[in-house]
Amino acid sequence: MLRQYSSISVLLCVASLSACSDNSTTTMTDLAQKAANSASQPVQTADPAPARTAGYSAERNAYFGDLHVHTMYSFDAFIFGTTSSPDDAYEFAKGGSITHPAGFNMSLQTPLDFYGVTDHAFYLGVLREMADPDSELSKHPVAAGMDSLGGAAERGVKFREVLGFLRGPDGDELNDPEVGMSAWSEIVAAANRHNDPGTFTTFIGYEYTATASDGGNLHRNVIFRGDTAPNLPFSRLDSSNPEHLWDWMDGLRDQGMDSLAIPHNSNGSNGNMFMLIDNSGRPLDDAYASQRMRNEPLVEITQVKGTSDTHPALSPNDEWADFEIMPFMVASTLASQPDGSYVRQAFLNGLRMQAEDGVNPYKFGVIGSSDTHNATYAGEEFDYWSKVGLRDSDGILRGSVPMLEPNSAGDIYVDTYFDTWSAAGLAGVWAEENTRKSIYDGFRRKETFGTSGTRMKVRFFGGYDLPAAEDPDMLAKSYSGGVSMGGDLIGEASRAPSFIAWVAKAPDSAPLDRVQIIKGWVEDGETHEEVYDVACSGGPLDPVTHRCPDNGARVNPSDCSLTNGSGAPELRASWRDPNFDPDQHAFYYVRGLENPTCRWSTWDAIRAGVEPNPNLQPTIQERIWSSPIWVTPQL
Amino acid sequence: MASDDLFRQPLIWFVLIGLFLFIADSRIGDDRHEIVITDALRDRLATLWTTQTGLVATEAEVDSLVDNWVKEEVLYREALRLGLDEDDSIVRRRLVQKLGFIAESEPIPAPEIGELEAFYQQHIDDYTLPVRYSLQHLYFQAIGSAQQALTQIEQGVSSRNFGEPSMLNPSFAYRSALELNATFGADFAGQIADFPIGSWQGPVQSGFGFHLVFLNAIHPEQITPLDAIGQQVNEDYRRARQLEARDLYIENLLQQYIISVELQ
Repeated sequence: MLRQYSSISVLLCVASLSACSDNSTTTMTDLAQKAANSASQPVQTADPAPARTAGYSAERNAYFGDLHVHTMYSFDAFIFGTTSSPDDAYEFAKGGSITHPAGFNMSLQTPLDFYGVTDHAFYLGVLREMADPDSELSKHPVAAGMDSLGGAAERGVKFREVLGFLRGPDGDELNDPEVGMSAWSEIVAAANRHNDPGTFTTFIGYEYTATASDGGNLHRNVIFRGDTAPNLPFSRLDSSNPEHLWDWMDGLRDQGMDSLAIPHNSNGSNGNMFMLIDNSGRPLDDAYASQRMRNEPLVEITQVKGTSDTHPALSPNDEWADFEIMPFMVASTLASQPDGSYVRQAFLNGLRMQAEDGVNPYKFGVIGSSDTHNATYAGEEFDYWSKVGLRDSDGILRGSVPMLEPNSAGDIYVDTYFDTWSAAGLAGVWAEENTRKSIYDGFRRKETFGTSGTRMKVRFFGGYDLPAAEDPDMLAKSYSGGVSMGGDLIGEASRAPSFIAWVAKAPDSAPLDRVQIIKGWVEDGETHEEVYDVACSGGPLDPVTHRCPDNGARVNPSDCSLTNGSGAPELRASWRDPNFDPDQHAFYYVRGLENPTCRWSTWDAIRAGVEPNPNLQPTIQERIWSSPIWVTPQL
Repeated sequence: MASDDLFRQPLIWFVLIGLFLFIADSRIGDDRHEIVITDALRDRLATLWTTQTGLVATEAEVDSLVDNWVKEEVLYREALRLGLDEDDSIVRRRLVQKLGFIAESEPIPAPEIGELEAFYQQHIDDYTLPVRYSLQHLYFQAIGSAQQALTQIEQGVSSRNFGEPSMLNPSFAYRSALELNATFGADFAGQIADFPIGSWQGPVQSGFGFHLVFLNAIHPEQITPLDAIGQQVNEDYRRARQLEARDLYIENLLQQYIISVELQ
């Protein structure tokens, strides 16, 4: 059954690629060869299609989830005081309540549709074992004090000590495959136990936690399609080169076990996540691009450790670029260089490589996720518990509330990078029904979006045969006459394609301010980008500046009350690119902006009865990003 | 003759025999404890070595592992003798945890006929689908438009003439209150729960604006038959019995203690 599904998925993948891309011929050939290989495997009789679940819709539903969740099995989460298991994590996502290590309860107002526990593969379960005085691992010098960790500062010191050791030359001393296998089998079993087709989907997954030689972050989450997984995940102890991870995933896929890897915190990669050369310093070629895209169709565009859409230094003309920027390398206070670290620039560089060499290694879709280390999704501004257990469990530790008294240097606020973190990270996907198969296929199609935490939805279609945006049968006609987000169009020489961008507010959050289309293109070998407002809540769009007027929305930062102005529940527009050039490679993606609301740090301050930290943004505009649609010139 | 007399004295015999036993005991006897090295122990140490190093231990290495183990065992027993395990929270927690594992790992016998059925009946709430709703709705940004539309629909104008476009599906089938609230915003379901079936009602407020709602049906709670979810009930039964066994174990132990309270 599993094997059969995954050969179908490879075939689908081939079909969708061949439908769209005119110059990834080698990609197609490779995949077709693979599909042919797996098709020759014995399991071929078609099982009857499984019954559809109650919520099935041919025009697809938006499902919300989190694919980046750590539990007590992660080495760092354990040091942070997290004792919640994968079972606890899934119960929480379904609407249950679990206790934070600091003692308060955490629960969601609205349950999530899907959830994937992704513990660090390296040293999986080992730290828990080190804290067990009966274990061999507890005798290691690094284990000293592990079973009696105290407050935030002590845990912070221990985290850096352990991380330093694990990344160092002797880290292998603490590797215990028996411990890892036992934890991994528990993670797999918990995912399968909580998967409930039609109601709640789980994914077997883990985090591959590799680091570049300069400390830049190369982390990925690996998400499996089926209900089985190898005995042990591939970790940085096997190799710190992500290309080797893809080799491993390719090998599993050939055995009928499909998975995808989702890079995250490219913002903290110091330019390593989206390089223009491979791990051995060679320019990116077709083999690299096709392998990367086969294994990494999605990227996390936002999470608690900041947003990776773009950076003000990379997009100086985008007035909304300075959003939840986390300027450091992961788990450090060293600056991370923006160049090579942000999604939009990767799309642009991919486009240029495509124009020059016919190779695009950066043609991925986007999702958000939280990266919680408390087992609990952390995307609500007004109910924020951040993500590293006892290290950032209250406003003082997070830098949003003054310390009880200034320190010896006279600082009022604690010196921390937690104040650069966000209440953020939802993954959205369009899928026929809430089942593993349907949602995973949505990931593969890249028909995905990410939000900064609220449950906005976005529809995005492109094509030459789209209906009017207000057409009552718009969805069916758009699916048949165009492509959805994540898809490809071949540009026609005589006319520009049209787009439909449609955003709905979150049921329980603020109204919408505006909807934008972000265009990237290559002209004379140079990359360019432009932000077009396409639908406004505040009045008519200025056709020259492509900007919406102010809609009058305001926030009162003393109590977070809102003035909605003319904010809208939904905004949609048909749009044609006024500067379309059929000879240029281009991509388009939607960004939808909510009216401003209080940032988590302001809520912290109000609850503590103090003024918000003047060094932090008091409000934010929650937002949604769609995956792009790529337009390729006709040959 | 005096010496003969002396040896006839019982007290002297008593002292001599006692002396002999004392010397003999101190020379031959042994109050030392025994540590037994078995094949099982050697195998266990060798396996642990292989797990940790990835290498197969040679005989010499196993000998050395055994030597180390013996030294550790001696220290361990001495520590116990000195009472070092007392008032140590780590030791205490670990021992409690171990006993907990043992109590919980008691094999649970397969349920007798009728037992599973009884368990299922006792926990019927867990196997019951909640009340669900099937409905159509018309969306309006302003409450006034919704009210006007309702008036006209009640006067016989077709509902198809009304409603503003929205990303929400126009109809929903078999949705629980939780699912409706997730889609429309908090407490949408509460507002429609008492609506009559088969007519347009409202306006109802949501996170997006206002809605006229036509309830096609309210599906009452529905019990899933045991046949359909036998395996799940079986697993729940096992888990419940395990927890019961652990509680019972603690309860029995408690019976052996008198808990006295001495508060000041």
